[in-house]
Amino acid sequence: MSLDFDHDAALEACARGEQFALQAIYERESRWLLSVAMRIVRNRELAHDVLQDAFVQIWQRAGTYQRALGSGRGWIYTIVRHRALDEARRAERETPMGDELTELIDSTATHTDTGPDLDDAALQYCLSQLDDDKRQCVVDAYLEGYTHEQIAQRRNRPVGTIKSWVRRGLLALKECLT
Amino acid sequence: MNLQDAQVRVVSAGEYVLGTLTPSERATFEAQLRTDRELQAEVYAWQDRFLNFHAHTAPMAVRPELWSRIARRLGAGHPPVAMAPAANDPIWRRTRFWQVVSGLAVAASVVMGTVLVTTRQPDSIVVSARYLAVLQAPDRSTAWVVEAVAGGDVRLVPVGTMPAVPAGKAMEFWTKPEGAAGPTSLGLVQAGQTYVVPASRLPGLGQRQLFELTMEPATGSPIGRPTGPILAVGKAVAL
Repeated sequence: MSLDFDHDAALEACARGEQFALQAIYERESRWLLSVAMRIVRNRELAHDVLQDAFVQIWQRAGTYQRALGSGRGWIYTIVRHRALDEARRAERETPMGDELTELIDSTATHTDTGPDLDDAALQYCLSQLDDDKRQCVVDAYLEGYTHEQIAQRRNRPVGTIKSWVRRGLLALKECLT
Repeated sequence: MNLQDAQVRVVSAGEYVLGTLTPSERATFEAQLRTDRELQAEVYAWQDRFLNFHAHTAPMAVRPELWSRIARRLGAGHPPVAMAPAANDPIWRRTRFWQVVSGLAVAASVVMGTVLVTTRQPDSIVVSARYLAVLQAPDRSTAWVVEAVAGGDVRLVPVGTMPAVPAGKAMEFWTKPEGAAGPTSLGLVQAGQTYVVPASRLPGLGQRQLFELTMEPATGSPIGRPTGPILAVGKAVAL
C-alpha cells in the first residue's frame, strides 16, 4: 500500500468524470471497505452489494466533496458505512454477534500489507479516557453499526440512558481530539 | 433537535456520521446540512476523527467481478454533479497516478504509431476502424492525444503539463470531418483532464478528420464556431 495515495485529488478527478480515478480508489481501498461493510451487514453477499452501490454513489457525489473541509478518505468511508447501515436496517436482520466474523480474515493478506495507513493513537487515547459505558456505546455504534435500541438491548439498559451515553461520549471525544 | 444550539450541532453531526440518528432526525439534519457550511465542516471533522477506528480493520478478499459491475453502472462521460472548485489543483497532476495515466497515453500513441508503420490489417478481417490524432500547440509546448474507434467513444487525453486556462475562459474541443462545411463543438475541456465524447455527438469519424482545441469564453463559443486562438490542432490517422 502506498502512503502517498491522494484520496482528495482522486475524488476531484472523479468529479471531472475520470473513471481511472475511481478505479484507483477501488484498488487502494476496496478490501478494507468490504471489511467495514461486512462488519455492519454480516453477510458476504450483502457486503459486496453495499460496496458496489457505495462506489456508484462515490462516483455520483464526488462533485460535492469539499477538500477544504476534510479528508477524501473520511468522506469515502462515510459513504460506505452509511450505505451499509441503510442496508442493515432495511434488512432488519438480527444476526448473532460473531456470525461470519471469521470471514473477516483475508486469506490473501500477507505480512507485507501495512494496513490502511491510519494512526489511531490519539483516538485510542481519547477513548481510553471515557468510562467503559460511553466508550462501548460509541465503538458499537461505529464499528458494528448498532442503533441506540440495539445497544440498549445488548447492554440491558433503557434507550434513554444509551442516548445520553452516546451524546456525552461524543462531546468528550471531540474535546479530547481537538 | 435544535440545530441552532452549538452543543446539539456537534453531537448531531457526530451521530449523523455514526449513523445513530432516527430517520426523522436524520431528515431534519440533512435538510439543514445542505445549506449550512459550518455544519458540513462539523460532519467532515467527525468523519476524520472516526476514520482512525479503521487502523486495525483487516482486509477482505473482494470478488474479482465486482469492479466490472461497478464500471458498468457508471456510464460514459461525466457524473451529473457540480464541478469541484479545486478541479484543476496541480497536486493531482503531480501524483504518481496521473503520471502513470499520461505515461500510458504516450506509450499507447507510440505503440499505435509503430503498429501504423509496420503492419497492415488483413483484408479478410473486418475490424472497427481505429484513429489516432496527436494535437499539438503551435509552439509544440503541449500535446493531447485523441483516440477513437468507429462507433465508439472519442477520448481526449492530455500529455504532459498543461498551462492553466485564464479566469473567464475555457477550452473548447472541436472536430471537422474531411470535406465537412464547418467544425462541430464536442464540448468544454478542463486542462489536465481526460475527456470522453460519446460516439453519438460526433458528426462522423474518418481519415484526416481535424480535431482542435481553442480558447473560448467560459461558457463556450457564443456562435457555435471557434472564435479564439487555437491551442492545439491535429488530424486523425487510421490505424
